[in-house]
Amino acid sequence: MAVRPQRIQDGVVERRLRPIYDWLDNGNNKKALQEAEKVLKKSPTLQAARALKALALLRLGKTSESHAVLDALVEEKPSDDTTLQAMTISYREVHQLHKVCEIYEAAVKVDPSNEELYSHLFMSYVRVGDHKSQQRAAMALYKFAPKNPYYFWAVMSIVLQAKTADDSTKRGILLSLAQRMVENFITDNKMEAEQEARLYIMILELQEKWDNILKFIEGPLYLQLVPGLTSQACIPYFKRIGEWKRLNLLCKDLLWENQDRWDFYMPYFDSVFQLMTKSGTDNYVDDTPEKCHEFICLIIENVSTDRPLRGPYLARLELWKRLAKDGDPTSLLGSGVALCVQYLRVFANKPCAVPDLKVYLSMLPQKEREDHSKDFLNCLGFDENSEPVNANDIQKHVSCLYAWRLTAPVGSAEENLSIARLLRKHYLRCLEQGLVTSTVTEFCAADNYGTLAAHHFFYAAMEQEDPAPILEALNLLELVLHHSAANFHAKLLLISLYHVLGAAIAADSIYCKLEVKNIQLVSLGWIHAARLAPALASARALRLLSDTCTFHKHHAKDSVEQVTYAYKFGTFEKVVEVWEWGGRIGGCAWCATCGRERALLALLAGPPQPPHAPQRLPQTPTDNRDLNAIVSWSSTDGDRALYKSRSFERDVAYLRLKDGLLSAIVLCIECADNRNAEEKSSQLEELRKCISAFGSALDSCRHVYGERERISVSAPLPSRIIAFVTSPVPYRELYTNTLLMVCEICAGSPSAHTYAEQARSTIVASRTELAAHAQPTLWGNRDAFEFFSNYLEFIGVITFLLGVCNEYLAPAHAKKSKKKTTHSPEQIKTTETLNKLNDDVQTTITILEEIFEKWPTFSYEASLEEELAKLTLTNKYHSPVVQKLKSGFEEVLTDVKNNLKKKAKYLKSLQ
Amino acid sequence: MTTIRPFTCEDMLKFNNVNLDPLTETYGLPFYTQYLAHWPEYFQVAESPSGEIMGYIMGKAEGLGENWHGHVTALTVSPDYRRLGIAATLMNILEDVSEKKKAYFVDLFVRVSNKVAINMYKNLGYIVYRTVLEYYSGDPDEDAYDMRKACSRDVEKKSVIPLSHPVRPEEVD
Repeated sequence: MAVRPQRIQDGVVERRLRPIYDWLDNGNNKKALQEAEKVLKKSPTLQAARALKALALLRLGKTSESHAVLDALVEEKPSDDTTLQAMTISYREVHQLHKVCEIYEAAVKVDPSNEELYSHLFMSYVRVGDHKSQQRAAMALYKFAPKNPYYFWAVMSIVLQAKTADDSTKRGILLSLAQRMVENFITDNKMEAEQEARLYIMILELQEKWDNILKFIEGPLYLQLVPGLTSQACIPYFKRIGEWKRLNLLCKDLLWENQDRWDFYMPYFDSVFQLMTKSGTDNYVDDTPEKCHEFICLIIENVSTDRPLRGPYLARLELWKRLAKDGDPTSLLGSGVALCVQYLRVFANKPCAVPDLKVYLSMLPQKEREDHSKDFLNCLGFDENSEPVNANDIQKHVSCLYAWRLTAPVGSAEENLSIARLLRKHYLRCLEQGLVTSTVTEFCAADNYGTLAAHHFFYAAMEQEDPAPILEALNLLELVLHHSAANFHAKLLLISLYHVLGAAIAADSIYCKLEVKNIQLVSLGWIHAARLAPALASARALRLLSDTCTFHKHHAKDSVEQVTYAYKFGTFEKVVEVWEWGGRIGGCAWCATCGRERALLALLAGPPQPPHAPQRLPQTPTDNRDLNAIVSWSSTDGDRALYKSRSFERDVAYLRLKDGLLSAIVLCIECADNRNAEEKSSQLEELRKCISAFGSALDSCRHVYGERERISVSAPLPSRIIAFVTSPVPYRELYTNTLLMVCEICAGSPSAHTYAEQARSTIVASRTELAAHAQPTLWGNRDAFEFFSNYLEFIGVITFLLGVCNEYLAPAHAKKSKKKTTHSPEQIKTTETLNKLNDDVQTTITILEEIFEKWPTFSYEASLEEELAKLTLTNKYHSPVVQKLKSGFEEVLTDVKNNLKKKAKYLKSLQ
Repeated sequence: MTTIRPFTCEDMLKFNNVNLDPLTETYGLPFYTQYLAHWPEYFQVAESPSGEIMGYIMGKAEGLGENWHGHVTALTVSPDYRRLGIAATLMNILEDVSEKKKAYFVDLFVRVSNKVAINMYKNLGYIVYRTVLEYYSGDPDEDAYDMRKACSRDVEKKSVIPLSHPVRPEEVD
């Protein structure tokens, strides 16, 4: 963020400060500091220069020096904006937003009629969410600068107090106060902006005064302030007060003009179905299914036929769906299948035809749907073997194939395989005949043959538990992507399928092409970033995890600033929205996981540095994954919402486990200092509690999440908690014994030996399990990688903790000093025990190295090249799949072995 | 078949099937929230009946005097929902808002290579007002067309008399 304030009044000062701003804005904080010192030599008391010096110091990591400068400034109660703004930036960067309130509180006391200072004071309260003080500041501001925005800032601040009030009486009082304040303004003819009118409606909404809202919307002031259709604005409130007749007539009017607007159809249907339950009929309103149907048909007839609109056709399906809820719609509308088929017939040439239909296909009774699945395929004269020869017909054919697959009974592996091969043949035929017409930025209809084939290869693979069809899918999708570089559906599928085989590096080659950034790191993290560590790709995992953490950190710093913008521009509706959004992303479960994963993974793949204590775990972690990114074509996909919440619950359980583990490690580091046991007794106690809580959480998770899940190509792979808690390696014993050992060493308790012995025997015993997972097939590769990723994480942790113990017992600086230190017999014994444990870990590392050295190589046979050879294609194409898989596996295995070597070397250095 | 509604923050979690398109940029969060906070009426979504985002438009109003105009910052439609007239619907909304704000014209920048978009804008009544050299950074940089359409306030249509010379990005205000 640029540091420079928009205007500095004093020209001389501005000139002298300019170079400091320039350096700060360019990120050269050292130069900025030098420049500030230079200015301060000439005028040592210049507050603005000192404030900028504090900022430069802070950004150079000299926190305490920076604070000293800031504290001295605070004492002087500066009141010039340049100084205050520079101080504000410093406080924002160290998350001390309340300090900003304090400096402006002091400033307005010095200069009580300064509008600018007061408005900064207001914003400082906005940042900390102190609505009451906001109100006070805004009213004070309005008193000497009677401008509308300030008045409405005060009103909004009252609304926010009401929204956060604990008891309903207080809430009621506050809201009626806000309402009165606005109404006074209306009476005095002072309301002048659209957003002020919207704020008034918001206040009435919070009090559920629907009639008042309607009166206001239908009045002259609203019309004057809020341009556009007032009638449309009435819709939600007609619904609220049950004005079904008016709603019905209004929606009919609107639909007559806008035949494609779903947001008018839905309330229209609501009104029809409400009116149906009322007695008596009315000629003007649609209060029966028949009238409703007639209305829709009239719209269809009135829309020009060269460009049919989806709206009225889908409206008919919606009517069917609503009638089917508790009745039989067939007498009025015929069969649902026929309606769906009709829709397909009209819109099959649009890629959206089947996505539109999906909701309605799933409402058809299963048997009926399955019996008629061929109707969808054949409704335009195509069958599975048709060979359309232009883009429009290909899209139609593809739509029919999609609808057929969504409705057909679940097929056997053989059926899926033969469909997949058939679809692949269609794609290859298009390729040969020049019908793959995609460009660098647009994909084409024929691509869909390829992606749908890939789905079917995947279904077959799952049935047979055989990776061969997945290899076929990968080869085909790489070919599709080769010709259609923009096709992100193919990219997402490829990433997903590579991960099914545990091939993270191959997946990464595609992921890079997606250019995922910013918020997408959050919404799409599950597709790739979350799968890197369990596939042993730790270097890449670390990179992506830290990108995500950086994004999150920036967000935390920026998000309250965005709320101040909403005030500045008077968009009161957005104040609440942006505030809540800030909270939602702030509490993102995936970002919290990234912080912990990164810290733990760095212990394995990074240098032996203490992990950073991550930010506090969000109280209610939020789910921000976009699970609809990968399109699903399976008819058995079931309830996606249920799936989403279930998988999220698992991810959060995993997050809590990892948080517990990391917290324990951080506490170990804190306890390993030279205070005596008594001085650190409360911390030691906290550590013991933390370890025990981690252990029992792990146990209880084993009971809840013990079941293995079926995987889907369009959904996240099973949560990592499953492999962790169901592992035959007893992680509870491994971690708790190791952590307790460190704890008791720090406490100087002899029980440390017992824990060390227990840790040793568990480690030795776990070697059998390692051997048992050492030679997976390609199908089992992903599971095997994940199994070892958990074990490697333990190796990282125990190696680091042995380092902590070593430093505690024989600090590096003591070792260097020539003076011989005498050790107590107890200390000698502890060192011996640690050495034995260290030996055991080293031996285990050697075993692991051997396992990875002898990791099986797989064969990656696929038939695509053979099929391609049959075609007359001018350009030779070589599928990159085999190469990507081979070199990708080699890369991770080499990486793992290197990491292990480094750990072994480090462990040796401790002895 | 469209629901037109204001873009909300949460849409940023759902717009992947639009934004993964190579010509659509995913900006940092503050960029979107600033537009939301400043020009919420100019930031609209077209949503499918199943709740998917089919496309969205973001824009703003800026300029002094006769340069007061509506600007299209981003207009994008998911590949699965193209050729349905959604872009035109969204442009209409932006033009309506600009009319209500008494703007003189609406303008937008488009890559000179993006033939599909340029044609669409032409069909909607936009003209190439000027070429902005190397406006899009990349390898190599690419020129932009600054396309314009006059609003009713510009009675003499002064805003849409094309410039004869291309301009540099720094000359664009």
